[in-house]
Amino acid sequence: MIIWILIGLAIFIVLIFFVYFNRFAILGNRIDNSLSQINVQLKRRADLIPNLIETVKGFAKHETAAIKAVTDARKALVGAKGIEEKVKADKGLESALKTIFAIAEGYPDLKANTNFLELQRELSSTEDKVAYSRQHYNDSILTYNDLCKTFPGVFFASLYGKKQREYLQITEAEKKNVKVKF
Amino acid sequence: MEKRVDFRDQISRNKNKSIFLMICVFAVLVLFGYVISLAFEPGYFFMIMIIAIIFSLSYILVSFYNSDKIAIASVGAKKANRNEYKQYYDLVEGLTLASGMPMPRLYIMPSKQINAFASGRDPQHAVICVTEGALEKLEKRELEAVLAHELGHVSNYDIRYMTLIAVMVGMVAIVSQIFLRSLWFRGGGNNRGKEIFILIGIVMAILAPIVVYLIQMAVSRKREFVADASAVKFTRYPDALIRALKKIQTDNSLPEKRVSKAVAPLFFTNPFKGLGRTHPPLEKRISVLERM
Repeated sequence: MIIWILIGLAIFIVLIFFVYFNRFAILGNRIDNSLSQINVQLKRRADLIPNLIETVKGFAKHETAAIKAVTDARKALVGAKGIEEKVKADKGLESALKTIFAIAEGYPDLKANTNFLELQRELSSTEDKVAYSRQHYNDSILTYNDLCKTFPGVFFASLYGKKQREYLQITEAEKKNVKVKF
Repeated sequence: MEKRVDFRDQISRNKNKSIFLMICVFAVLVLFGYVISLAFEPGYFFMIMIIAIIFSLSYILVSFYNSDKIAIASVGAKKANRNEYKQYYDLVEGLTLASGMPMPRLYIMPSKQINAFASGRDPQHAVICVTEGALEKLEKRELEAVLAHELGHVSNYDIRYMTLIAVMVGMVAIVSQIFLRSLWFRGGGNNRGKEIFILIGIVMAILAPIVVYLIQMAVSRKREFVADASAVKFTRYPDALIRALKKIQTDNSLPEKRVSKAVAPLFFTNPFKGLGRTHPPLEKRISVLERM
């Protein structure tokens, strides 16, 4: 009788080890997946820019400074390594785009161009998606870190060598308002 | 809802309730078969019972796997075209990114009201449907909040339980109605035993819609608060949901005509004013959101 209880207990303990191992694996995968989602959305955003530039050039050729700012920001985004840098580059692109869209207000033909409107809509929707995938990334990290910090997760975390992950931050400098120059 | 809601509890509760519901529906249908068989010749008893069991099982399986299609068809919704409804698709895509859920299929239903509903058996087989009125009258962020609320129903597995209730129990009401009507034409029986069972049949047929009504009232009221909370969890922007609810308060004065009452609890807000309160009052939902 005692032996069966001990065997049952042993199986139970082994199961708990499995469950926690899997939980760490699943939550870790979720973080990786949401990270790749951010990258997908950022890439999509970068891919939209050349079209936008062509359209703007067709109507407002002499706004070279603003156009160049967007092209440069796109280059920075494409060349950025690591998620922190990419998100930062995306913020730069966002402010450059704001300038372009503000300038477009002064060109009625450009403002009414369907292609331009479509790109504007698409760019703002990808920006939303970037924000949402970042939110999900941080949410996933929160769940993961909660598991790492609370008992008995904290015990299994050290056993399996799992460390807390870093949140994706927006620094104060990036949050500051965008100046629109004319 | 002052109490904190744990979404995981909500999910398992919904799954258990769905199973319980299916068992109940099965029992009720077999019981109906039993009553019917007693009202007929005794020689047919086993045949009718076997038919009743097979019918009940297939009924439950068919409605479980097709509940979303039945709900969609019952309100006359059409699949939303991606090119035509870009914003609708964009918003839902954004929300699926925020919640890490699969993309639901999107539908449009012809109605001037501002309303929406979600259906399906799990997040992988979910549908979201909005009215044309909602797409026209709501601003981008407000529409997003409404969609987030529906996605909240999807992620909490409310859709499974609520659609099953609407489809299965709604059908029980219809079946009992048919039973009641058939009794009108049959005339009085010539057997004392029969009369008692016919009486039971009538009582059940009268009770069925009342049961439907009570169940519907019990289900969705709490769920709406949870779904509102989920919506805020996804969008982090309660103001938009408050604005949407306020718009509905002033805008949805005309009751919905095309919608069956059985599917009313699925909706974002009750399509029938004052008739069978399946949702918490809008003022209450707004005040809860304002405290977030």
